[in-house]
Amino acid sequence: MTRRRRRSVLEAVRICAIVPSTGRAVVRAFVPMLAALLVGCGEERPSGRGISAGAAESAAEVAALPWDSVIARAHGTTVVWRMWRGDPSINRYIDEWVAPRLRDRFAVTLRAVDGQGPEIVNQLVVEREAGRGTGTASLVWINGETFANLRQERLLGGPWADKLPNARYVDSSSQIIMRDFEQDLAGYESPWGTVQFALIHDTVRTPNPPRTFAALSEWILAHPGRFTHDQGFTGMTFLKMLMYAEGGGVQRFAGGFDSTAYVAGRARVLAWLGRTRGAFWREGTTYPPDVAAMHRLFANGEIDFSMSNNQHDVVTKVRQGILPPTSRPLLLRDGTIANAHYVGIPANAPNPAGAMLVANFLLSPEAQLEKRRPDVWADGTVLAPSRLPDVWAARFAAIERDPREIPRDSLARYAVPEVAPAYHERLSADWRARIRTAP
Amino acid sequence: MRASRNAGLALAALIALPVVIGAAYATFAAVGLVGAGARGATSAALGDVLTDVAMWRGLGWSLWIAAASTVGATAIAVSVAVTFRGARTSDRVGRALAIVPLPVPHVVAGLLGVQLLGQSGWIARVAHASGVVGAPADMPALVYDPYGAGLILTMIWKETPFLAVVAIALLHTRGAAAEEAAHTLGASRLRTLQWVTIPLVLRGLLPAVIAVFVFVFGNFEVAALLAPSDPLALPLLIEERALDPDLTRRAGAYVTALVALAAAALAVAVHAHYSGRWSAEHS
Repeated sequence: MTRRRRRSVLEAVRICAIVPSTGRAVVRAFVPMLAALLVGCGEERPSGRGISAGAAESAAEVAALPWDSVIARAHGTTVVWRMWRGDPSINRYIDEWVAPRLRDRFAVTLRAVDGQGPEIVNQLVVEREAGRGTGTASLVWINGETFANLRQERLLGGPWADKLPNARYVDSSSQIIMRDFEQDLAGYESPWGTVQFALIHDTVRTPNPPRTFAALSEWILAHPGRFTHDQGFTGMTFLKMLMYAEGGGVQRFAGGFDSTAYVAGRARVLAWLGRTRGAFWREGTTYPPDVAAMHRLFANGEIDFSMSNNQHDVVTKVRQGILPPTSRPLLLRDGTIANAHYVGIPANAPNPAGAMLVANFLLSPEAQLEKRRPDVWADGTVLAPSRLPDVWAARFAAIERDPREIPRDSLARYAVPEVAPAYHERLSADWRARIRTAP
Repeated sequence: MRASRNAGLALAALIALPVVIGAAYATFAAVGLVGAGARGATSAALGDVLTDVAMWRGLGWSLWIAAASTVGATAIAVSVAVTFRGARTSDRVGRALAIVPLPVPHVVAGLLGVQLLGQSGWIARVAHASGVVGAPADMPALVYDPYGAGLILTMIWKETPFLAVVAIALLHTRGAAAEEAAHTLGASRLRTLQWVTIPLVLRGLLPAVIAVFVFVFGNFEVAALLAPSDPLALPLLIEERALDPDLTRRAGAYVTALVALAAAALAVAVHAHYSGRWSAEHS
């Protein structure tokens, strides 16, 4: 009897050895849930400290207040910002440039924590299920599918973004900024930056790179094993651009998800891949997991093209020594996808006033200018120079132009917008099922 | 005595609790009752995943990686323990060298694997420079390759020290008496090694071997760096589904995670069954 009981204890301990085997994803889902449950059991009040009387107010309620009251409510509080923390240059901008200024000028403590896209959705769903009135993060960095998911699940607070004083500088004539994957922002997210897709090539290895998808196909067939794309967001964006180019232009897919248009576009993508994929790196039987792996293969000379969702990535990555100095961005003339990224306030944000103050500071000309510098992040601004006071417009114009940057007018000429998120979702799923897991 | 046993039980229960809660949550999420995109009870995700070729290929591939890595690491660990069991300086150096990778984090091991074994890696460059291969790309692919050779080599390198530490300790504490008995009964050195020393170490090592198998099976970070996209290792498949922008696919992540949990639990249960039989035979 005792022996059996001892066995059962050992068994329980042994079973725990399995925990790591359930994969990072599950741990990611469980840990916040357990934390939420434990915190939820322990205390009634939210765990965030220094949250003012505004804690119980929603973002929409705070947005109705005069701006001075928002500043007053934010004073002395902490704002937890859930964002992608994968790039040291971005982290440095947030932690060493934005945060100290918020502390000195507004007595607001900014704490950036890791979590991007789908993880943000999972986290907020778990917090809701744990039944806590307020969550952990007051600000989230989002766009596209994440914005769609959060809106669909009613996890975002708002409207508030149009009430920010600095919103008047935003380039509201730009469809790339004012439409997030064709979705109306509706005041539920505030624009923060813009990026545009670019291929990356090495001027020494490929001095005359192909400039259209048709030419790229010929180049790939003439140089077997030297081209591929990744399995992640960037690779799927590449395929979506291919769908626009081969499927009759972006206008065929604009105006919401259309199943017939998608099926026709997909057939064109599969046909292009069918012609060229055999000449991909490793005969198209395997694909790098992400952009980091693409950059590594490119820098090591295994492939001749890398790619990035940010046309300025090559500028910062060359400065960091990750890419060779002769790397250059390359825009395909069929059109390259440009999109914007935003900040939102979760519906359960403990500190919406603080979050709005941070969002407003991020939109200020000085914060946008600093972010735009090639040695900082080189992220495109969402402000319209024509709307800025002259002194700021002049400073934007004077930013040092890196020789590796693509001129603004070329970017604008070839920019094409995002389409409804469902295109991206379906194309990813079909690529995985029909190309990646090829029989 | 009873009090301490109860405390022990409580502690064990506390350790098991996250797994129990996690498995329960995953079960509810798998049938659409909780989680992002949950729309009420449905077996749709269950059907999707269990009929998904990619899932079964991923499961089979991850089991292959775990088995090959575990067998390789165990063989090297036992050889090290047996070869360098003495008290000479060379023995000490041999034992010390075998456990050097122990403090290296798995993600660092994975990056080393990429740098060393990739077609543009150091080995390929040396081979190219010395004329063994014409161009670095002529190197056989060991990273992102369909058999997971680079992943298995990296895992063997990373897991050997842990098994070696256990094997060395086992031999040190239990080896001498049984071997002397065998000698006294007239067994040759080779026979003693074959019939006494190695079985003794292997049997004592088995819990650690199972732990390594389960760990490698579920390892995410090394697979993310070295594994191919087809078949997609099970932990990578779980991650991909858990982060799919289409919320209706999230339930599939939980079903897949439960399959992984079941496979790992099965390995532990098989071991518990046989180790129970052995201890019954020998007590």
